[in-house]
Amino acid sequence: MTDSVSAKPEDSTLVRVRGLTTVLNGKKVFDALDMDIPRGKITAIMGPSGTGKTTLLKHITGQMRGDAGEIVVDGQNVSSLSREKLFELRERIGYLFQNSALLTDFDVFENVAFPLRQHTKLPEVLIRNIVLTKLQAVGLRGAAALLPAELSGGMARRVALARAIVFDPMLILYDEPFVGLDPIALNQVLKLIRTLNQTLGITSVLVAHELEAIKRVADHIYLIANGKVVAQGDPKTIANDGSPWTRQFFGGEADGPVPFQYPAGDYAASLGFPRGNP
Amino acid sequence: MRRDNIVLRSLAQIGDCALFLLRILAAIPRSLRHVRETVRQLWFVGAMSLIIIMVCGLFVGMVLGLQLYDVLSIFGGTSATGTVVAIAIYRELGPVVTALLFAGRAGTSITAEIGLMRATDQIAAMEMMAVDPIAYVAVPRFLAGVIAMPLLCCVFCALGIFGGHLVGVSWLGIDNGTFWSNMTASVELVKDVINGVLWKSVVFGTVVSLIAVFQGYTTPPTSEGVAYATTRTVVASSIAILALDFVLTAFLM
Amino acid sequence: MSQRQSYAVGTGLFIVLGFAALGYLATQTTSVANTSRGPSYTVEAHFANIGQLKERAPVKVAGVRIGQVQSIVLDPGKETADVKLSIDQRYNQIPDDSVATIFTSGLLGDQYVGVQYGHSKNPVAAGGTLALTRPAQQLEEMLGKFFGAGGVADNLSGSYLVKARFSNIGALSVGAPVKMAGVAIGSVQSIQADPVKLDAEVTLAIDKKYSQIPDDSAAAVFTSGLIGTQYVAIQPGGSPDMLKNGDEMVLTQSAMQIEDLIGKFLVSGSSTDAKKDADNGKAGAGDKH
Repeated sequence: MTDSVSAKPEDSTLVRVRGLTTVLNGKKVFDALDMDIPRGKITAIMGPSGTGKTTLLKHITGQMRGDAGEIVVDGQNVSSLSREKLFELRERIGYLFQNSALLTDFDVFENVAFPLRQHTKLPEVLIRNIVLTKLQAVGLRGAAALLPAELSGGMARRVALARAIVFDPMLILYDEPFVGLDPIALNQVLKLIRTLNQTLGITSVLVAHELEAIKRVADHIYLIANGKVVAQGDPKTIANDGSPWTRQFFGGEADGPVPFQYPAGDYAASLGFPRGNP
Repeated sequence: MRRDNIVLRSLAQIGDCALFLLRILAAIPRSLRHVRETVRQLWFVGAMSLIIIMVCGLFVGMVLGLQLYDVLSIFGGTSATGTVVAIAIYRELGPVVTALLFAGRAGTSITAEIGLMRATDQIAAMEMMAVDPIAYVAVPRFLAGVIAMPLLCCVFCALGIFGGHLVGVSWLGIDNGTFWSNMTASVELVKDVINGVLWKSVVFGTVVSLIAVFQGYTTPPTSEGVAYATTRTVVASSIAILALDFVLTAFLM
Repeated sequence: MSQRQSYAVGTGLFIVLGFAALGYLATQTTSVANTSRGPSYTVEAHFANIGQLKERAPVKVAGVRIGQVQSIVLDPGKETADVKLSIDQRYNQIPDDSVATIFTSGLLGDQYVGVQYGHSKNPVAAGGTLALTRPAQQLEEMLGKFFGAGGVADNLSGSYLVKARFSNIGALSVGAPVKMAGVAIGSVQSIQADPVKLDAEVTLAIDKKYSQIPDDSAAAVFTSGLIGTQYVAIQPGGSPDMLKNGDEMVLTQSAMQIEDLIGKFLVSGSSTDAKKDADNGKAGAGDKH
């Protein structure tokens, strides 16, 4: 699967987003968004809740299509791909869902084996070896016979990770991988993300809020708000960036460029007081 | 698009449902590689419904035997009990009751399962694993329903006849030979078994499975949405079954 | 993997069970069960009238099924039906002078071919013909005989005609019996509407044997039973003069419509109330003016 990566060694950008504009339910989610995700690095995408970070991941994988602009993944324009080509591309992309999205009918082993069974006709012995290797990598080889309902949140996420890497993808997209994890599980997932990136050279994209965790693992951070990239850089520079966005986001201030109040009409008026009368 | 009018909303649902049927039909060739999943669904949808179908079939046959014996004894025609039980079950009760039970037993579980798969991102995860969820999730359940319904209906009818025989012959004392010979003299293979049992149940199976899969697939991914979708499956299926029953009867007569 | 296999086995069992049930329904509870299996031979029989006989109807001897009707075709050039009977091989000793009759099982049942053995020493051969047949009895003829209405033709010479006028004949039809004291004495010969008097003029053909009917007798249209056919009943009067050919019966009672009967029945208890209500209604309507 990594052959195609070496096919174009000159291109150090795996995912290139240019002028992406998307309107959902009358709200502009992306406004001419530009973004480059470098090959073989860990890129974090941060931003206030509701800025469309998950939506961006869905655009990258072709689950959603923008109204304008283009997204090129490994030289292929996602928005113009046919369904077959898109499926071929997705076989090389791992995606970790926020709630793990394990198939509840199958046990852990079959969940990890699922993509192999669907896309290959490998002999059972080989499937078994591959699956157990991946489960060993996430430390859950002993849980192979458990059902998803019997797993804790952190374990489920690690199983989902094992499933996402079963084809040794070129790119893994992590959607909120740290949400709801206790510090131990969080560190385990963090370690896995780093190990996968370093040992297999898998390009990783993280969508997350946990600044401390991101600082420890990410090579590059994008901060998006209002459909635009408002700040970017490696963890150190972005933390010292003087922009009000970074100050509010990393400083954790309640009010700032991201208003505390959801857009609303005049407060006094909605309470029934005459306008401008104190 | 505003769909606040109930008539418009129902029409829109029927239209969406028809389009969904086209998507399912188009995906059937692609789902041939998921034969195993179809077999698995046939187990859940068909074999797991056997008990309820058998018990209900038995009781329907028994109560028919009892009622008809009572009515026919007025005319001194109790020997026709077997005939009327068989014809009533084959032409109407078998397909309709089986379909209603199927909608309640298997249809709801299909809807709830697919709805929850959507709510927990399992459908999206399949999309991301380059597995077509229509071909992997919708089609096997749909096909399983279409295949299971006629088989269940046959089992229901057989148990119904057995129930009628139990009450009529063993309990009320109709002559065994009369019971069978009158039945075999009046029940016709094509008109009653093929047209009555098989055709109707294939159509009902198609409609109920389609509604169940469609409702599950298009439900809003919330627990409330799944609950509503399950209810809608039962309501829509029941109406569709009874309305189609009339149309089919008119056509097959 | 064993989990997967158990699904497959269970599903397989389910499918087998379903098909077994279908097979049972199709072969044991339908007319297919009556299809004879095993070797059989064919015998022909020609009937003047086959009534409602259908293919695959049973062929019986002494009430026991020995075969079935294989085909029914109209004999080309003749006015008889050529019926081929397929008879089980083990009943190959049917005498060739046996009589084939088309019977009806019960009053409303299906028709079948009954074979009554003759006395010949020679059994009928495969492909042979049962020469002696009796056609199907038409229900109408049987009823006609029963009620005596079928005797119109027989008694034509020996009957005289009487007219009766009814304001309503209900479902009375030509050929319906004319009865006195419940005994059929003739039949309805014609029914015509009178364009002037706007009633029905019914001509009754009465057997000459019954020439002593008083001329003031009443004729009424009755129904035999609740859903039976209608007939003309004659209630004898006390006049010394007798009805003659061409006379008209003056006293008639028209057919009771079942709706009228039910109406009378239902209203009789509350007719006074209904009248009062009607009066009140009129008064109320008057007030509004």
